[in-house]
Amino acid sequence: MKLLRAHTKAELLGLLRNPAFLIPTMLFPSMFFLMFAAANLKNASAANFATGSFMAFAVFTVTFFQFGVGAANERENPWSSYIRTLPAPSIYRNAAKVAAAAVLALAAALVLILTSSASTPFDMPLERWPRVFTALAAGGLMMGMLGTALAYLVTPKAALPLANLIYLPLAFMGGMWMPPAMLPRIVQNISPYLPSRQWMELVWAAVAGGRWSAAHWLAVAGFTVAFALLAGWAQRRDQVIR
Amino acid sequence: MVSVQNVHKRLGKVEALRGASLAVQRGELLALLGPNGAGKTTLVSLLSGLRAPDKGKVTLDGKDPRNPSSRRILGVTPQGTGFPPLLRVKEVVQLVRAHYPDPMSSDEALTRFELHSLAARNVQALSGGQARRLAVALAFVGRPLLAILDEPTTGLDVSSRRALWREIVRFKSEGGTVLLTTHYMEEAEELADRVVVLDRGRVATAGKPEEIKKRVALKKVRLRAAKLPELRSARKVAPGEGGLYTIWSPDADQLVREIVNSGVEFSDLEVTPVSLEEAFLAALNHEVQA
Repeated sequence: MKLLRAHTKAELLGLLRNPAFLIPTMLFPSMFFLMFAAANLKNASAANFATGSFMAFAVFTVTFFQFGVGAANERENPWSSYIRTLPAPSIYRNAAKVAAAAVLALAAALVLILTSSASTPFDMPLERWPRVFTALAAGGLMMGMLGTALAYLVTPKAALPLANLIYLPLAFMGGMWMPPAMLPRIVQNISPYLPSRQWMELVWAAVAGGRWSAAHWLAVAGFTVAFALLAGWAQRRDQVIR
Repeated sequence: MVSVQNVHKRLGKVEALRGASLAVQRGELLALLGPNGAGKTTLVSLLSGLRAPDKGKVTLDGKDPRNPSSRRILGVTPQGTGFPPLLRVKEVVQLVRAHYPDPMSSDEALTRFELHSLAARNVQALSGGQARRLAVALAFVGRPLLAILDEPTTGLDVSSRRALWREIVRFKSEGGTVLLTTHYMEEAEELADRVVVLDRGRVATAGKPEEIKKRVALKKVRLRAAKLPELRSARKVAPGEGGLYTIWSPDADQLVREIVNSGVEFSDLEVTPVSLEEAFLAALNHEVQA
């Protein structure tokens, strides 16, 4: 516990002292929300749907970039090797990273809730929130794994541009910015095969108070395991090289 | 305390270790010397549990360093300037000490290494000497039984080096065991009970610092001559263009006397000291740039 606290503190301090990372990740999703979604939301159910989507986008931004680009930069720094020489299993370090990401993702989601409450007829019954946050956490984990895999598969210099190249299409085609019915025809055909879309189905069901379908949970779990295996493989390969 | 038995390790295409063996006894200070690429850093990474050997066995107090609990007796210095980007000196010390059962207080560690006034400084803003002091402080803050110090004083001026030496001696006098890698013969002479010279992934030679010094404390003598006789006090002779010879010798005075006594005609005599790196290459009979 002492170790988990020490590592989480170090992770969070590092993130909080980096305004170049912190401010965009906190504000970017809300800014997008105000620019493209807020004005068209005439009733509570539309506002809830869009707010859920953009909360997922906010969580996606934090987890994908912190684990993706963050891990890529760390790979370069000998400090991460040093940390591995200390007498603690790596589970503490990884748990601390997840905890730090969860804190930031939650903060980004809260910023979005405030933005939405101030600008739309957003109104969601309290009993739906636990399922919304469960769905958000599951997708955050999945995207964190994808980010980690990316970080170890490509060179640190390539990680940021490549991350953007994956992040924006996944968000758009997964339906985070607009309902799938409004997406271009071709995108509508691809969308159901994307991890982001499978995740959104979970979020939308939770936001609307509808039933979850097992197929979407299975898909998200499947993608998570696949990304985790890829990340593990890439990480081991990286350690053999250096 | 430390045992390395016939260890092989390949890193990509390079065979970094090719059957290295050594042991460090409890309470001993062993200095690991060798030219760049000899395998020192790879050996340190095996001992600190970062990698597993391909062949052979590495143990700390009889246990596998890959297992985190075996490393509770171990303190290591981070490499070069490898600190986290956005933490302060005291925060880094606190993070590291949280890993040990009976560590020093952060204040004690900061005071011992003259870092107290820098406690709130961002670690990236430290000077080279301050960063090295912090690195050694991190190796000692957990009160380990064994400290592995990877080039603890590289790039430091004489007075900062002496201050760090005092702390290393103090750690040892309290019963600590130390393995240190260094580029300075002087450092090994001052601190070490025993020196092991690593070369191309194997132990080339081992002994007391004075003995090793005799073998590697070389001077370089250059001169022009048509032909040189057999020279007893030369370690290595490299003929160059236009009759320019380069000779490495542990006793340059004796070497010059020998040449004069042999009656050989020579010119452009020049005697220069040699870096430890170059001395290793000559003493270990490598190809060496004259």
